[in-house]
Amino acid sequence: MDMVLSILTAIGVMTALSGGLALLMVIADATIGRYGPCRIRINDSRDLEVEGGQSLLSTLKNEQIFIPSACGGRGSCGLCKVEVLSGAGAILPTELPWLTPDEQKRQIRLSCQVRVKRDLSIRIPEELFNVHQYQARVAGLRDLTYDIKEVRLQLLDPPAIDFKPGQYIQFEVPAYELTDEPIYRAYSVASGPDQHGEVELEIRYVPNGICTTYVHQHLKVGNTATINGPYGDFFLRDTNRDILFIAGGSGMAPIKSILSDMVHTKNPRRTRYCFGAKAIRDLFLVDEMRAIEKQLPDFKFIPCLSAPDTADVWNGERGLVTEVVDRTVTNLDNLEAYLCGSPLMIDACVALLKKKGLPEDRIFYDKFA
Amino acid sequence: MKQTPEMDRIQQEMHPGIITQNGFLGDDSRHLNDMLQEQDAEIQRLGLTHEQIAARLAELRDAGVQGLGQPVRVEPHFEVTADSVRGRLPCPFMHGVTVGKLNTTIRNLASGETITVTDLTIHLIKDHGFYGGHGAPFAITPEHLARFLELT
Repeated sequence: MDMVLSILTAIGVMTALSGGLALLMVIADATIGRYGPCRIRINDSRDLEVEGGQSLLSTLKNEQIFIPSACGGRGSCGLCKVEVLSGAGAILPTELPWLTPDEQKRQIRLSCQVRVKRDLSIRIPEELFNVHQYQARVAGLRDLTYDIKEVRLQLLDPPAIDFKPGQYIQFEVPAYELTDEPIYRAYSVASGPDQHGEVELEIRYVPNGICTTYVHQHLKVGNTATINGPYGDFFLRDTNRDILFIAGGSGMAPIKSILSDMVHTKNPRRTRYCFGAKAIRDLFLVDEMRAIEKQLPDFKFIPCLSAPDTADVWNGERGLVTEVVDRTVTNLDNLEAYLCGSPLMIDACVALLKKKGLPEDRIFYDKFA
Repeated sequence: MKQTPEMDRIQQEMHPGIITQNGFLGDDSRHLNDMLQEQDAEIQRLGLTHEQIAARLAELRDAGVQGLGQPVRVEPHFEVTADSVRGRLPCPFMHGVTVGKLNTTIRNLASGETITVTDLTIHLIKDHGFYGGHGAPFAITPEHLARFLELT
């Protein structure tokens, strides 16, 4: 009997202790992580009153200020850099791989890693104030290849967007089977800026990709979507130089946007466009590019296949896009190059163009293929 | 088997939402220690080493990189596509190593099977003998991987 009583007493004590600990954790969670109201001073010109406790990236997003980020705030893309003049504390180990010594000296930080705990003073590019969030409706979906889908979004609120051809937006993936929270991914706009009320994207399926799986397997015409933008400094420079576009896969998107604008503005510059693909089944929008050849005075589209299928009938250029550029681009004296595709392709093209004598400041690229 | 607090911390890093959205453990409820020991035993039973597996994957990855995002044929009958995206990921074993986000998709043209590995997968196999928990993205058992790569 005594033993039973002892056991019951022990169980009672343990239960009370566990309950007490759980209560303490709930209280701690509700209080310790809160830092109360904080002020964020931006560019020495405007102040935000915010609730502390979240990352600087999330806090700014809640205030409709969108800092580009490609990894959902996990500190793995290094894109969400802002200048934090005061209030951020020491640089965290998670930030170090992304910050050059010069950036560290200039107080550049990853906004996803900086937690708002006290008043902050930050500096961000003025153009980020032109970034807005848009509600849209999926107006069209089209398979461009077996793994690239064209997504046409009709903007609802606000009903129009101003962007420079070549820039990108961030597409929000809602919570679904691969993610339990909304995340953003960046995609270049493929449509021309004259289509203010519509945004066209070209999205290639990536195995296990959270956004690409959502777009390819779940998104339907009529669905609503949220985007924000525009972002990026990949756009056609206003010069009289000849233009060389190089792209592969969904890197077609910003080049198509720039070309649409060149048609719209009757741009007469000499333009060559090398597009790399493996086989005919990887080529797309060829008819559209041929139509642009007729609309622009000096434009040539040069698709090249690296490994055509045996059934492919192909009389065009063969080889990797770098090999074709090496063979066909001979005069670089008055040339500007614009590249979009996989980072591997871009790195190889930049190395080739520099080797051929093109100054680095005349090579522009966007690695968000 | 119990595991050290350090191993607990590493396993914590492997949960969804810490380093990657979906983590490295899938629905595997074992201790990381146990996973490592069982995967190591599996490799030994096969008469292989983690380094051999990682070296073959790295060899295929390096061949794939030459394709600049396009598939490349590799003898005897593999088709490899390497594709990178912006960013780096820290190793969950927290020893200061970060790895670029390079995905390598390998198709065994003889068996018709396709797998995708990341550079972090290759690093985890080579330096830590870790192949991922059951059901985790990019996880593949040592036996399956060895058979796919035709090392057994």
